[in-house]
Amino acid sequence: MQQVLNGIFAGSIYALFAIGFTLVFGVLDRLNLAHAAVFTTSAYVGIELVADLGLSIWLAIPAVLVMGAVLGLVIERVAFRPLKGRHDAHFAGLISSIAVGGMFLALLQARYGPDTRRFPADAFPSTDFELGGVRITLLQLVILGVSLGLMLGLAYLVNRTRLGRGMRAVAENPHAAAVLGVNVDRVTATTFAISSALGAVAGVLLAFYVNSAQMTMGFNIELKGLAVIIVGGMGSLKGAMIGGIALGLAEVFAVQYVGSSWRDVVAFGLLFGILLLRPQGLFGARQVREV
Amino acid sequence: MLGDYTATLTLIALTAIFAYSFYAVLMAGQLSLGQAGLASLAGFSATVVMPDSPVVGLSPLVVGIPVGMLVGACVAFLLGLPVMRLRGVFLAIATLGFAEMVRIVLINAEWTGGAQGTSVPKLVTPGIAWGCLLLVAYWFWRLGGSRFGRGLAAIREDELAARAMGVHISRYRMAAFVTSGAIAGMYGVLLAYFSRFITPDDFGFAAAVDGLVTAVVGGSLLFLGPLLGSGFLTSVPEIQRALGVEAGWIRPFLSGLLLLVVILFLPGGLSSLIPRWRTPRLDPSIPAPELPALPPPGTSVLSLKGLGKAYGGLHAVRSVDLELGSGEILGLIGPNGAGKTTLVNLISGLSVPTSGTGTVLGIPLGPEGQGHRFARAGVSRTFQHSKLFDRLTVLENALVGAHVVTRPTLLRRLLWLPSARRDEQRALAQAGAQLARVGLADRAGVNAGALSYGDRRRLEIARALAAHPTLLILDEPAAGMNHVEAQELSTLIRTLAEDGITVLLIEHNVRMVLETCTRIVVLNFGGVIAAGDPATIAKDPVVIEAYLGSDGPADSRV
Repeated sequence: MQQVLNGIFAGSIYALFAIGFTLVFGVLDRLNLAHAAVFTTSAYVGIELVADLGLSIWLAIPAVLVMGAVLGLVIERVAFRPLKGRHDAHFAGLISSIAVGGMFLALLQARYGPDTRRFPADAFPSTDFELGGVRITLLQLVILGVSLGLMLGLAYLVNRTRLGRGMRAVAENPHAAAVLGVNVDRVTATTFAISSALGAVAGVLLAFYVNSAQMTMGFNIELKGLAVIIVGGMGSLKGAMIGGIALGLAEVFAVQYVGSSWRDVVAFGLLFGILLLRPQGLFGARQVREV
Repeated sequence: MLGDYTATLTLIALTAIFAYSFYAVLMAGQLSLGQAGLASLAGFSATVVMPDSPVVGLSPLVVGIPVGMLVGACVAFLLGLPVMRLRGVFLAIATLGFAEMVRIVLINAEWTGGAQGTSVPKLVTPGIAWGCLLLVAYWFWRLGGSRFGRGLAAIREDELAARAMGVHISRYRMAAFVTSGAIAGMYGVLLAYFSRFITPDDFGFAAAVDGLVTAVVGGSLLFLGPLLGSGFLTSVPEIQRALGVEAGWIRPFLSGLLLLVVILFLPGGLSSLIPRWRTPRLDPSIPAPELPALPPPGTSVLSLKGLGKAYGGLHAVRSVDLELGSGEILGLIGPNGAGKTTLVNLISGLSVPTSGTGTVLGIPLGPEGQGHRFARAGVSRTFQHSKLFDRLTVLENALVGAHVVTRPTLLRRLLWLPSARRDEQRALAQAGAQLARVGLADRAGVNAGALSYGDRRRLEIARALAAHPTLLILDEPAAGMNHVEAQELSTLIRTLAEDGITVLLIEHNVRMVLETCTRIVVLNFGGVIAAGDPATIAKDPVVIEAYLGSDGPADSRV
């Protein structure tokens, strides 16, 4: 039972990261590989806010969220908008977002150096709860609460608001959306901002969870995020959420029954199986090609 | 002086070789990230299986490289069997997943030395690295002008049109993937014997991304691309070091910035800076080749019995019976949504009927993915929305059209056999003759993407004619043409029929159909509502009602 909960806590971070990933893919049909750099950046910035500026974690999370949104706007403006209408926008977008992500990491290195950063020992209250023999820390509850809250908020935004309608219209057909009066550029920029804000919160939450931030933390989560959005179905928000939590659980059990050195095979084993059996993912809709 | 740079020079060559393994699939429009895993497997099997000491007087490298390439190619084939049906980012992520699994399995394996890796002697000199690079580059240079290379480019530009031109898509895609595996294998072995050490972590996600970046920065439209990309990306840090830029973060920042600038401002990569001085040219002195005669007039070309196609509950085509004999010009007309294009897709093998049977030039309509068989049997078509290979020249488009009447030339081109050159010349003459037929000969060197609308429609026809078709299907060829152009097209179609080509013409321009065709079939709601010679059809009240509405204007009735 304890293991299941641990899996859910880690999984909710994966889900939050993957939802940001899949949002951009679902709406704009672009894979933003700078997403992981935003994740890493926010982990470092979160630690600085708490450790050096003495901000409480309750304020650090919204601050990082805003920073993530700004980074998202920068990524869209620098790496994606100039490619609009280009024949090779798919490949080029991958590369330009890798380039921008690399620049973010370089700037991080300039500010924080290459070493691992940690929170001060007393950064958050070490309150525990005992529930039927299972120990849960306040931190874990915060992680779960923030992740679920943001995901539900996103679901509301996409399904119920005017902006969400615009996003779904652009996802369906950008040209038609533009003809119908949707400001495609603004919807695109907003989508990037929201996506990166979610990725940033995921970053700071993971930094809280493992109490450290490293330059390489982005690579790992990027691979997992890719696996999750395939397993869940490209562009499916529900799929990314369930896929993320499923991955968290699967990893916990893999560590328990197979050994920790095999943990990272789980994500890709799942991914491979899903791609072969159900290429559209668990919750994705099959796309039909037209002549 | 040069001594200081031997490591850099070797590294440029190795990086370029790795980038070629990405280029090999990019040129067919596939994005694969599994090359690092293939390189890893090849590197470990070649270095660990081979003893360090010379085998029968041969350096481990001489044996290791072929072993590594073989391992890379075989694993790529096995991996390709399940993943080749994936497209775009799905293929990229599946292959990335494969590479990660390889990495973790090798870390956990005994024979590889686990995460510590294995130590091997240093055997790779700049000469060896550049020798291998030149071999790989030579391969891609000769590939460029071959029938195989054009087929890959056609798949990259428009897979469906390539299939309709008779390119065997799955075989070509797999061949590109296996080539990529073999080159990745070569890279794995070379890297191990260069860095004295091989660990599974050398071939992680970062390595795959570096390889892809190098290939894309170099550009995937010219065989020199990976070399340029490698030279550029490998020397940037060296130049920074030489300039005294030392702070740890400035280098990656500048590298990222340069990468961004290249990708944003040079859409075709660095190789787009090099003018294409060797695009195929026409030599008017070479006559079009003699091709096998078309079947005599009256031979059955097409026979459909109760053919139907349903999408879920929607019957796009229902129970169509149709016979077509050689030399006929059959017009297929009907209102929008009548099922004309669906019927044509069935006949050209691009989609599969859900009911009924039919044979086209002796080939039964059957399973999906067999479009190239119909093309080979002599069916050629144009598309309603033109599907040209936009980044190829007009002449190259027509050359792809000639795919089914030419022979593979890659192997003979690698050996510079004169017969390959003769075959290429014949293909050029065949393609050029078709361009002349539609009046595009003077536009041969222009990129198809730069053509005007009317010229695009003409090029579609020329490309289809280059296949020396028995049955030519024209899907709304006159759409958007003015009266004079439509008249010229009508004349062209009649001369084609005089040459023995059977034509199936789908067209909305009823006047043109009535003037051009020998027989007309009218479709509505997926079924045949009338058939007969033009005079009969023009007077048929059912047709007039379907087409014009019962009280419609009468000016299209001739």
